[in-house]
Amino acid sequence: MTRSLAGHRPRVIIGKKIAPYVLLLPFVLVFVAFLIVPMIYAFNLSLHKTALVGGTRFVGFDNYARAFVDPNFWSGVWLLVRFGLIQMPIMLSLALAFALILDSGLVYARGLFRIAFFLPYAVPAVIATLMWGYLYGPAYGPIAQIAAFLSLPKPDFFSENAILGSIANITIWEYTGYNMIIYFAALQAIPTDLEEASKMDGASAFTYAVRVKLPMIVPMIIVTIMFSIIGTLQLFSEPYLITNLARSVINSHFTPNYYAYTLAFTAQQYNYSAAISFVLGAVVAVFSYAFMLASNRGAR
Amino acid sequence: MAVITLSGVTKSFGSVSIIKGVDLTIDDGEFVIFVGPSGSGKSTLLRLIAGLEETSGGHILIDGTDVTDRGPAERALSMVFQSYALYPTKTVRQNMSFGLEVARLPRAEIDRRVDAAAAILKLEPYMARKPRALSGGQRQRVAIGRAIVREPVAFLFDEPLSNLDAALRVDMRVEIAKLHRRLAATMVYVTHDQVEAMTLADKIVVLDGGVIQQVGSPMELYERPANLFVAQFIGSPKMNVLPASADGRAIIVPGGKVRLAAPPPAMIAHLGARPENIVITPPGQGDIDGRVDVVERLGSDTFAYVTVPDAGVLTVRIVGNDVGIAIDQPVGLAFDTQRLHLFDTRGQAVPVAAA
Amino acid sequence: MGIVGNTVRSARFRLSRWVLTAILCIYLVYTLIPIFYVVTASTKTNADLFGTFGLWFSDDFHLRENLVDLFTMQDGIFLRWLGNTFFYALTSAIGAAFFALLAGYAFAKYDFAGKRLLFALVLGAVMIPQTALVIPLYLLFSKVGLLNTPLAVILPSLVFPPGVFLMRVYVEEAVSDEIIDAGRVDGAGELHILSGLTFRLLMPGFATVFILAFVAAWNNYFLPLVVMSTSDQFPVTVGLAIWYASATTGSGGNLLFTVVMAGSLVSILPVILAFLIMQRFWQGGLSAGSVKA
Repeated sequence: MTRSLAGHRPRVIIGKKIAPYVLLLPFVLVFVAFLIVPMIYAFNLSLHKTALVGGTRFVGFDNYARAFVDPNFWSGVWLLVRFGLIQMPIMLSLALAFALILDSGLVYARGLFRIAFFLPYAVPAVIATLMWGYLYGPAYGPIAQIAAFLSLPKPDFFSENAILGSIANITIWEYTGYNMIIYFAALQAIPTDLEEASKMDGASAFTYAVRVKLPMIVPMIIVTIMFSIIGTLQLFSEPYLITNLARSVINSHFTPNYYAYTLAFTAQQYNYSAAISFVLGAVVAVFSYAFMLASNRGAR
Repeated sequence: MAVITLSGVTKSFGSVSIIKGVDLTIDDGEFVIFVGPSGSGKSTLLRLIAGLEETSGGHILIDGTDVTDRGPAERALSMVFQSYALYPTKTVRQNMSFGLEVARLPRAEIDRRVDAAAAILKLEPYMARKPRALSGGQRQRVAIGRAIVREPVAFLFDEPLSNLDAALRVDMRVEIAKLHRRLAATMVYVTHDQVEAMTLADKIVVLDGGVIQQVGSPMELYERPANLFVAQFIGSPKMNVLPASADGRAIIVPGGKVRLAAPPPAMIAHLGARPENIVITPPGQGDIDGRVDVVERLGSDTFAYVTVPDAGVLTVRIVGNDVGIAIDQPVGLAFDTQRLHLFDTRGQAVPVAAA
Repeated sequence: MGIVGNTVRSARFRLSRWVLTAILCIYLVYTLIPIFYVVTASTKTNADLFGTFGLWFSDDFHLRENLVDLFTMQDGIFLRWLGNTFFYALTSAIGAAFFALLAGYAFAKYDFAGKRLLFALVLGAVMIPQTALVIPLYLLFSKVGLLNTPLAVILPSLVFPPGVFLMRVYVEEAVSDEIIDAGRVDGAGELHILSGLTFRLLMPGFATVFILAFVAAWNNYFLPLVVMSTSDQFPVTVGLAIWYASATTGSGGNLLFTVVMAGSLVSILPVILAFLIMQRFWQGGLSAGSVKA
């Protein structure tokens, strides 16, 4: 034996105990510097008030008290609730249906559909909004052109009643494929012997998809609903960019994030804007938590 | 080579105590096997020896050196893992040389050792392949080769054959036995397969609930189990156990009496009899009566499962297959009184001839 | 059953197959229409953009002229925007994916004090509204003089919590504990095990996180909108949005419409191409996330 215990010289190496901290260090550094610190800073801002005369002073939770009764804020939340109630069911049920269809293999050209449906995710929200903005255009948009050709009244996508649907359509276009791919991946992970077992039980492809596979991806569906709720309540880019086309219906407090943005960068009310952002964060947390509770209860 | 000594070793994860104080000496060149049901702590004990887990208490000594606080690489041990744990991105040769490269051995020495191990394990044709291009048996051999080249003071095996199919498992078992003879190295081996334990081990350590139940040679454990747990864990089919009490020169069991030459100890509570130590007789002529439930014919042996009221089902092994018994047939059962096992109320063995 | 039953079944099977394919085709048209519109609009003169049917090409194929306009307008600022976007997205994504890999590996393979709390914090970060972060970042960056510098966009983009989650799941699947233990027995230190034994196993997961972080950074609008103030620092999203706004309000003249269209086309093509080429990675990564979630 060439090795002996007595002569063994331990080298200095990073051991099991310190290794996780070394590995986490870079991420935690940026996480703290660019997420935790700004949050704390914003929270501190929200506790102060800046007046033209007298400078900045501590006001405690005054800004929050104001936000809680600010109709501009709550009208934005209410709008997003209505928006989500239209947009989420459509987007997620389309995504789920497409995922089940593609997964069942009952279609031609599966690969093509899978890729094509996902493509909008690669298109920046700015450009998606811009493209749909042109398509919606009342003067030269192709939809208006088709309506004129058929002697139908031109649809007004930017009217008070239509604007929510018009924006919802853009987000459906952007994210249906993304959710579909997530469902599809979850469906593909289900072992194939289940399909064989259900065939032995005499189930059709449809029954198998809906009665066996669908329940198995419920956890994934819950996750996507969570993310959709969070994303919906943070809606900003699409309405912000479409403002020029629909000046009369999109105001500076159309959505809560829009409101916070305007307060900060148009009115220079950073303190109140920070409070609005935190109240929005709280609203997001409450909605998410309520949904988790509801889905847990549903699971039982 | 190495003597491995464990003294008062304990391990807990949080509030869960996995190893509850183990004292054990593994002698130089010995093949020691840890067996026990899942959760018995046998794998944890091996990982404690390897240094992959830290002990919560006690000491581990290798050749008299306390290695309790040393990392795995500083114990000069090798380990073969259940899933082989080959490095997927490295070739067979690179897999075997990695540990030596980490130790900064000269290239020529590395090559010499790797080539020698490859020759022993007949791996030469595969040295340039990646693990995924190998069969299960070949992967297993690479894992063993990786252990050999380190020229360790002892080898550790964590259920190394459990991922192989039955036929290959028998082959590899024989190869490991040969390897042990050839290297004359200390080997510590964990398995839940008692055939592996019985055939390979110089010494078996039976663990249950984080406590050593018994240490001994395979035949010692088979013939003189220290307690009910070992009695029922070693041997297949399991030892039959009946509730029992002493009565003069006999032992009372459900449905009858077993007469002995000498009076049994008074404190007995259980009687154990291995399947081959029970004989089938015509009804009424044995010690107790029962009814044949199932008959399994294996060719060389026949197992009869006999239901005895209040005692459950007893297994009887009969040599050969032409034994003339049928299902539902009433039979008598006679115990070989020379080979009975007696246990007290705590399940500890009581010597039959103690009285 | 026999032959008759089989033919009836397969005929029904083929019918349902065609019906389902047709349904998907309808959605396919919906998906592709906006992109197709951008393609046709990029090839038209400004007059044709308003004068001809929007969803088909006009006789006057004007793509080359539009591209020339796009790349020469305002002294070729568009190319600069593209370059900025590429630079911001590439540096952010490399850093974010690398940090996520290290952190995900730590979460997957080690026990350490505060693990659950830290992971919960990382997951909870997705609930923070953009404005709650971007506005204080703007104020903080203005204090340290980072406003209107590339770092103002890149540094915050290094924080990519979904990447940490994905990497954790990926590492749990791709690297067995026994391989790490084998490396330990072989005498390798923990970081050597990662760099020498397991890193290459993690490349598909790394690629997935890289792509997702790259797309997120490429598509980012809100952060650069706030922290960048001069045109030469804009990414393409902010630049195009400004051109678009001035086109719709008429201040930039009608010429801009076709240029905006051509600019949109040019800026989505690289990402679409990257997705098509690297589909194995993002699909693999998303499915890795689905197993545990």
